[in-house]
Amino acid sequence: MFVKLLRGVRIVFLTGLLLGVFVVYAQDKPAVSFQSTQFNVVEETAKIQTILEGFDGDALFVGIQEGPLIDLLRAEKEAGTGATDVAGALHGTFPVLAKDDALFNLSDLTASIDAEHDIVDSYVELGKLGTSDYQYYVPWMQATYVMAANEEALQYLPEGSDLNSLTWDQLAAWGKNMKDATGENKLGFPVAGLFHRFLEGYIYPSYTGGMVTKFRSAEAVKMFEYLRDDLWPLVNAESANYSFMNEPLLSGEVWVAFDHMARLKPAFDAMDSGDTDLKFVAFPAPSGPAGLGYMPVIAGLAIPYTAPNPDGAEALIKFMMSPETQSAVMRDLGFFPVISDVDTSNMPASVSALSGAVAATSGAKNALVSLLPIGLGERGGELNEIYRNAFTRVVINGEDIATVLQEEGDTLNTLLAETGAPCWSPDPASDGPCTVDAAS
Amino acid sequence: MRKVNLTPYLLVLPTLLYLILFFAYPMVRSLSLAVSGEDEYLDILASPDAGAEVSGTLAMQVVVKIVDRVQQDEVLPNGRTRPVYWFQVQGLDINRNEVIGWANQRYLFVESRAESTEARVTSGVPVQGWTLQHIERMFNDFRFWSAIRNTLLLIVIVIPIQFVIALIMALVLQSGIKGSSLFLYIYAIPLGISDLAAGMVWYSIFTQRGFLNSFLDRLGLIDTPFIFIGNDKFGWMMLAIVLAEVWRATSIVMVIVVSGLQGIPRDYMEAGEIFGATLWQRIWHIILPILRPSLQVALILRTILAFQVFAVVVAIAGRDLIPVLANETYRWYNQGDAGFNNPNVAAAYAGLIMLISLGISLFYLRALRSQSEQAAL
Repeated sequence: MFVKLLRGVRIVFLTGLLLGVFVVYAQDKPAVSFQSTQFNVVEETAKIQTILEGFDGDALFVGIQEGPLIDLLRAEKEAGTGATDVAGALHGTFPVLAKDDALFNLSDLTASIDAEHDIVDSYVELGKLGTSDYQYYVPWMQATYVMAANEEALQYLPEGSDLNSLTWDQLAAWGKNMKDATGENKLGFPVAGLFHRFLEGYIYPSYTGGMVTKFRSAEAVKMFEYLRDDLWPLVNAESANYSFMNEPLLSGEVWVAFDHMARLKPAFDAMDSGDTDLKFVAFPAPSGPAGLGYMPVIAGLAIPYTAPNPDGAEALIKFMMSPETQSAVMRDLGFFPVISDVDTSNMPASVSALSGAVAATSGAKNALVSLLPIGLGERGGELNEIYRNAFTRVVINGEDIATVLQEEGDTLNTLLAETGAPCWSPDPASDGPCTVDAAS
Repeated sequence: MRKVNLTPYLLVLPTLLYLILFFAYPMVRSLSLAVSGEDEYLDILASPDAGAEVSGTLAMQVVVKIVDRVQQDEVLPNGRTRPVYWFQVQGLDINRNEVIGWANQRYLFVESRAESTEARVTSGVPVQGWTLQHIERMFNDFRFWSAIRNTLLLIVIVIPIQFVIALIMALVLQSGIKGSSLFLYIYAIPLGISDLAAGMVWYSIFTQRGFLNSFLDRLGLIDTPFIFIGNDKFGWMMLAIVLAEVWRATSIVMVIVVSGLQGIPRDYMEAGEIFGATLWQRIWHIILPILRPSLQVALILRTILAFQVFAVVVAIAGRDLIPVLANETYRWYNQGDAGFNNPNVAAAYAGLIMLISLGISLFYLRALRSQSEQAAL
């Protein structure tokens, strides 16, 4: 009888203890839910989760696609209550959420992080989405596009050219040399992937000095003539099917390629780990008459109004913006820091190779930053289609350049007028909506 | 009075409800999407309160002057407060009349909510209207006619090949020769493979470092890989797509034909044999006429599926080189980085595909009528 009573007391005591611990734990550290369109691939998710273990609290990372994230946050806003504390996404996702008036103003948080770690100013501006005092997102990390080459290709570099400051004509001459030597077209572009960024952020600005206003200028005509007559006959015809350039680089069918850093990284990783005998080098995209156009890719962190745990969300953002985390993300995931005091020594060879190319790009004297479209909101994809269409019509279908630029320029003007988007860098600022200049 | 027997209607009811809910309703919605346009207008109000009277209507992207503002604090469920601004704005309304009224911050783009003196109208309430502009946009798209041409070309090439092969396959199965049941398993393999996977299999055969090129290289027939897939290789890409489609979808036709063949009474064939009909004569005069209903079903099914061909084409030729109707639909619908995010034009494409499929199905039904059906009309 006594033993039974003792056991009963013990059970009650233990249950109470467990419950108490649980309640205290739960009250102490409510979880922070972190939904992100970045690192939503299984291997990347595992890596970011490891990094998040260093967070003083319980961070629940969920990888999600862009469309579902937008739908989720919209639904949470409509309901007035939600489960998402921090939303991580590329710059282009935020205008849609901003238009829905779903995000906290993070000006104070950004200012305090900026004071401590100095965030890149232009990215802070970008995070305001055109306003002067409303910080929709905190710039989180950056990436960009570079070129990569198989070392085998370097012997065919045209004489007198420097890998870190190639011109477009030298790129074509290089492709010609490789073709003469191997009988194959060894240049490759991700036409099924992010090729529109190549057109918008690289070759257009480097020929015309702008992305939008000079869409149908004489320089743009020259650029398309170069693409059609000089470059494309030397580009591997299967480019139409390439979406990630690491694959054709690793298979050896392409020796020189342009792509997003993250999509070239697996090739460099394979070189690091010994999975391939091939050796790769990374270098900036070529320059044109107007400079070296390049396009940074910015990811940001935002807090929706419906966040159940806004304090935890701010703590998590501070954690993601700390030099240690930024360095770990660079090392393991290949995205670069947006703050200045990050220790970038001791990076794996693959990351240093890519970061060298990025430094050579942004540090070039003639560098010309092209930003992602601002103010197009959910119609950003339409802008990309216009550039892709112009390319397909001129280079693949062989239509007349002037006609194509006239027609696609009109479509572009309609899009800009309907969205009211003012010009963004590298085009000169405009008062009203950005407009394409008449053909010169 | 005769008593109405309700049982058949009750039995049909679930199917009917299912069809209405999952086919008719979405179809009507999708078709109406193709011809409806949304214009957004912003109603500005007499006072800073969502229930107030409307004092004017503004069009999108109109720039207005900010005359006055009030800041309210909304307490959120998470304990934070957020400032909510109402702006009193002045500008020209849709009829070019000067109006003044209040609008919530969510409808306006304001550079600085606390200080700016100007705002742009960025959202409002959508108003539905009918329009043909989406259909016009579809017809004017530079890929439209090549998408139509390629889709029809694929149908004209693929379907006859499939029917001939399926008939041969079915006759082999029915012949009862040794091991014919083994063939059934072999034939059925592609049925279990998704169309995207099938496309990728054939892509890996035809790609530059693919099986075909390695094979030709081993035989010593080529020194450098031959490019089958590229912007000037329309013929080769079509061949690869046709092969992939034939490989992938012929078995479906075969299954239908086999079931049709099993319905042919043995007596007919025996009678044919007794009168000395050759195999060819038996196929032409006995099997094919009796198979007509099965062939009709298979033809309709295959043609409708052929209009939806998408994954195989994308896997082999990428997004740009061989436009087909289903891919264009997706391109217009796609909300991603490269896509028009325009469900209206996508709906126009979907409607077009439906109309053509419907037309061709009706044509088949008429053209393949049996003699008794013809006599009845």
